[in-house]
Amino acid sequence: MDMKREYYEDVQLFKSGVVLFWSAALLLGLFTFPLYAPNYYIYLLNVIMVHVILAVGLNILVGSTGQISLGHAGFFAIGAYGTAMLMSTFHIPFVAAIIIAAFVAAFFGFILGLPALRLEGPYLAIASLGFGLTIMHIIGAMKIFGGRMGLKTPVLDLGIPQLGLSLPVTNDLQKYYLILIIAVIMVVGAVNILKTRVGRSFVAIRDSDIAAEVIGVNLTIYKTLAFAVSAFYAGIAGGLFGFILGFFDPFTFNMILSIMFLVMVVVGGLGTVSGSIMGATLITYLQYDLFKNIAEVPYFGKFMLYISDKWFTTVGLENFSSMAIGLIMIGIIIFEPLGMFGIWIRFKKYWMTWPF
Amino acid sequence: MDKKKLFVAMVVLAATVAWSGVSLAANPPGFDDNEIRIGQWGPQTGPAAPWGSVARGSKLLFDIVNEEGGINGRKIKYFIRDDMYNPAQTSAVVKELVERQGVFAFVGGVGSATGMAVKDYLAQNKIVWVGPSAADDNFIKPLNPYLFAVYPLYKDEASILAKYIVENLKSKKIAILYQNDAYGKDGLDGAKDRLATYRMQFVAEISVEPTEKDLGSQILRLKNSGADTVLMYVGPTTAAIALKTSANVGFKPQWVSSDTLSDYPLMFKITGGLWEGVITGAFGDIPTSTTNKYVVKYREAAKRLAPQERWGTFYMAGLLFADPIVDALKKAGRNLSTESLLKALNSVKGHQTLGPPVTWSEKQHQGTDSVMIQKCGPNGSYIELQGWTKNDLATWNK
Repeated sequence: MDMKREYYEDVQLFKSGVVLFWSAALLLGLFTFPLYAPNYYIYLLNVIMVHVILAVGLNILVGSTGQISLGHAGFFAIGAYGTAMLMSTFHIPFVAAIIIAAFVAAFFGFILGLPALRLEGPYLAIASLGFGLTIMHIIGAMKIFGGRMGLKTPVLDLGIPQLGLSLPVTNDLQKYYLILIIAVIMVVGAVNILKTRVGRSFVAIRDSDIAAEVIGVNLTIYKTLAFAVSAFYAGIAGGLFGFILGFFDPFTFNMILSIMFLVMVVVGGLGTVSGSIMGATLITYLQYDLFKNIAEVPYFGKFMLYISDKWFTTVGLENFSSMAIGLIMIGIIIFEPLGMFGIWIRFKKYWMTWPF
Repeated sequence: MDKKKLFVAMVVLAATVAWSGVSLAANPPGFDDNEIRIGQWGPQTGPAAPWGSVARGSKLLFDIVNEEGGINGRKIKYFIRDDMYNPAQTSAVVKELVERQGVFAFVGGVGSATGMAVKDYLAQNKIVWVGPSAADDNFIKPLNPYLFAVYPLYKDEASILAKYIVENLKSKKIAILYQNDAYGKDGLDGAKDRLATYRMQFVAEISVEPTEKDLGSQILRLKNSGADTVLMYVGPTTAAIALKTSANVGFKPQWVSSDTLSDYPLMFKITGGLWEGVITGAFGDIPTSTTNKYVVKYREAAKRLAPQERWGTFYMAGLLFADPIVDALKKAGRNLSTESLLKALNSVKGHQTLGPPVTWSEKQHQGTDSVMIQKCGPNGSYIELQGWTKNDLATWNK
């Protein structure tokens, strides 16, 4: 059902009117979401969207290019610190600051991409892991970044306050629209990248880098480019994340965060943009909302409390969160390696071919 | 390209619709006729999980209060939320509690960065927060009308410890090993201010990164300085490594440490017994005390209500930090409101149960500058060296 008859059909942003309709409906839903959702969900959605931006970028690297990174919290941190520092120290307007910070992250991505030319699999994972940890410690050791005491973000102003054009974004709701618009731009950008020559080169490298080189893909350029693009996404996400928090310290960007990012991509579905969105949404929702409040869920919460009192340590129910995420990972890898995207495809096939 | 145009048009339309109809609903109230909802965040899992017992300690206090019939006819409904010591998650759980569950007040809350992430949000929403379980100048300056601190500042503690070292231990050569962050620097500053009054200086000021695992060079520098007493403002792991490294090179000074390491059974265990003889400050009374009637009462209650918990310093701290709010809620009366609670908290004077006397006023929300000085005896037992001592050099109340 996904057969393409000509090139232009392949590079279309929306495969069909149906896809366009539902994309538009989803966007309409998101834009009007605050009208019928409780306040609390706005904050949660902000975090989800930031994770979506990051997961989409990470998936370009992990899913589409086949390079692994356990250091994305590092790029995330560069984005957050970069944006906040550029705004508070150099008084650069927000839009410029976040883009510059993302390019700084992209530059570091390029640097990390260089060893990736020689390293593969677990070796690359270790190298990138080292990168993530190093960034955290370098920032923690430098006074200008606030050291381990952390940094308070400046007022998020979309205008240029020096020229009297002030447009401050203060509450979660205003941040929601800002992040939503940026997230839409970034996601559409990712869909586009994957449909261009660059995207196809990434996929060729993933499938076989030797074969890719033979058909004329410059490995040096495209591998480092994949890291740079992915880091750029993480930088944008980090810049926004800083403003969601209002205050952060180096430990915020720890190794566990890098691993959770990878979990989002794997659970969502490697190599697909919609998969990254689903994965980031599911994992963030589970981690930030459902698992935190499991004791308050009717019936099931009581049951879990009973189990935890009986079998778990004194920490109790909180252990359940890590266990459940681990089990989801194992389940996905065993039963559905394509992740949530794979489940969606199967569902779609079943629906289209019904009743056969 | 028509599809793209249509798409853009719909986005713009949706944006204008949404932007025009935006309004924020009010939070649910924090109490009703039958219950008062109180919350706490704290790391139950993740790297800081050992401090999670603070939040569970507060639970014991509220369980006891409920068992005794609640407060003015209302029971306390208590929520613990795991934030994994991560400010992003602290924000999420606090917002969830305030905006969905409707929480009247927060107590405790481990961590400086986690607290900083929600401090302004809580004040904006007029949620009272009593007893952050971290000492941070930013919590009390500038004055936050909704935030009441119990934990003595590290600066005050270091100053009192330095005085004890000079006057009681008669040490002439004192060195300091401090962690390179706000906590360590506060300790350094407080102790230096005190030593200046004796016209003394540290013979060595050695900083250490919180995550450093090899302290060989630092310990050698301490040894070469000829110090007979070393003051420590470091984390538990660093302290354990420092003591083990020193024992290996035959360096045996009198170790003096901050109250963050006053959980003796734990420290005794992770240092393999080297913790014996170490002197520390303390923010709470001795957990094994038989003279403090509150300690005895709560310890007995813990055996009954939370038999699986270890009765230790941090578990008891959970009761200590939450304790003032129970008293204030009682005083605020049946006709409860945020204003009446604030009024009751602002008139707390010399309230003393498990820790130092706590006093708040409308102008001052740092409750105390007193610490106790204790020493680790055999098998991680507690020996009291000096009772609650005020810091005569304190600057926060000036």
